[in-house]
Amino acid sequence: MVTTVAGIVANGILLGLVYAIAALGLSLIMGVMGIINVAHSAFIMLGSFLALGLLEWAHIDPIASFFIALPIFFVVGAVVYRLIVTRVERAHQTQGLIAMFGLMVLIENLGTIAWTTDTRVITVGYSNANLTVGPLIIADAPLIAGVLAVVLILALRLFLHSTMVGRAIRAMGQNRDAALSLGINVRRLSAIMFGLGIASAGAAGVALAMIFPFAPQTQIQWLAWAFLIVVLGGLGRVESTLVSALMVGLIQTAATAFLPFDYVYLILYVALATILSVRRQGLRGVARRAI
Amino acid sequence: MIRRMDAVKLDVQKLVAGYIPGHPILHGVNLKIAPGQITVVLGPNGAGKSTALRVLAGFLAAESGSVRLDGDEIVDLPTYRHIESGIALLPQGHSVFPDLTVAENIELGGWILRGDRRRLHQAVDDVFTRYPHLRDLRNKSAGSLSGGQQRTVEIARLLVSNPRVLLIDEPSVGLSPVIASQVYRELTALKAEGRTILLVDQDIRAAIRIADYIYVLNSGKNEIEGDRAAFEGDLGALVRGWLGV
Ligand SMILES: Nc1ncnc2c1ncn2[C@@H]1O[C@H](COP(=O)(O)OP(=O)(O)OP(=O)(O)O)[C@@H](O)[C@H]1O
Ligand SMILES: [Mg+2]
Repeated sequence: MVTTVAGIVANGILLGLVYAIAALGLSLIMGVMGIINVAHSAFIMLGSFLALGLLEWAHIDPIASFFIALPIFFVVGAVVYRLIVTRVERAHQTQGLIAMFGLMVLIENLGTIAWTTDTRVITVGYSNANLTVGPLIIADAPLIAGVLAVVLILALRLFLHSTMVGRAIRAMGQNRDAALSLGINVRRLSAIMFGLGIASAGAAGVALAMIFPFAPQTQIQWLAWAFLIVVLGGLGRVESTLVSALMVGLIQTAATAFLPFDYVYLILYVALATILSVRRQGLRGVARRAI
Repeated sequence: MIRRMDAVKLDVQKLVAGYIPGHPILHGVNLKIAPGQITVVLGPNGAGKSTALRVLAGFLAAESGSVRLDGDEIVDLPTYRHIESGIALLPQGHSVFPDLTVAENIELGGWILRGDRRRLHQAVDDVFTRYPHLRDLRNKSAGSLSGGQQRTVEIARLLVSNPRVLLIDEPSVGLSPVIASQVYRELTALKAEGRTILLVDQDIRAAIRIADYIYVLNSGKNEIEGDRAAFEGDLGALVRGWLGV
């Protein structure tokens, strides 16, 4: 029994860490910029296919791909910000939603054209290996993905809290007028923030691909997952996203240990519905608050 | 009313500006801000007072018109150039960054100095010397402070860039009378240091009390103007009646 509980906790934490990076970009972009980026999960999917492509064509291990994805997706995010977001961010929020929704559909469709709807898995040396710690057995892939997630979470937190640019980014989320009045270049910092959000989505895609099968059309499930975590945790703080992602990871592993898998979704979505109705403000209300 | 002035610090002429192109909020506003004085801008809600300050601070583009600082045109310069040339804005409402600490808030007041860390630290240190009680609060999150303390943080943050022209938007809103009068005293002290102040206020009485010259805007246009004496007499009653205060 103790072993089972310890196993659930360990695996739940590892899963939660990976979920945390899957949700972090969504949470930060929403919290700092007030943008509900529904295309977020499409970038997660692209990250998974980047890992697959690098592995198949260049024999690059997903661990390396995780770090390769960061600069690539940062640039992609900054470009998307400049080309699309700047055109809609001052408009009514629904316009931005529709634009990002269109982008998501576009990426998903291009993905199915390029890679078909087949489900892929990434298989490397450690994919089916386990680490045994006393009576505990932990699969290597989630362990590695979890460690990578910790590195990314710490790096993002360090950037946002310990550098002046990071603090300025948080500041502009908290009071845009005041940030503008201090000469903070909100446009440029927004591009950086958006780039970081997409970078973490891409890297999360790599980490998720180490654990889960993936296909272009299943990306939307990660959007639902990420929203769940964001709504559970409240907005924009790295810590709160981390805590709620860990909760989701733990609930999921605990529920899967004792219940059929379908119930996991049921439990999590009942939790989501409950929280949304208790908060009574929905996503728009969440999006107005800032980090 | 013709106004004699030896020098104009900030000269705003025929300013047209707004948020949607072709739909201006300001329809040709004129302001002459005398150096070392407190100039007050009054007007009903939605008159365009804050809009005018945003243009003067450099982060809202003007459609047309001119803003001259010591004779130099600055209307099209970016915000950081405005700050470099000594203009700083205290925006309306609570404007501390609530989740940042007091020290982090104040440090961001020196954002444009960030390339020169030594100068930035010196400037921040000077501000802490000016407001020593903030030093004790430096590691508290700004959002956890009282309203008066937050206002002090905002003013301290404003002073890091050592501005010569202060644009202050409704500094006493939401403060207790005691704290509010401290804020007005602080503004008077800043004037005594030779700084130029453009004050937008809803508290007409308090603003007129420290004003050297007063403008009233309505619907994005100049309505009346005059010195304090004029407003303390009949004009004051007129404006108060018209604003419903
Ligand atoms: N960011 C904005 N985008 C669009 N319109 C705005 C914005 N800010 C203000 N406005 C509009 O511009 C007009 C003038 O607003 P402004 O804030 O300048 O008035 P104000 O004189 O400062 O009023 P108050 O005394 O209420 O602060 C108002 O009709 C307002 O609705
Ligand atoms: Mg205003």
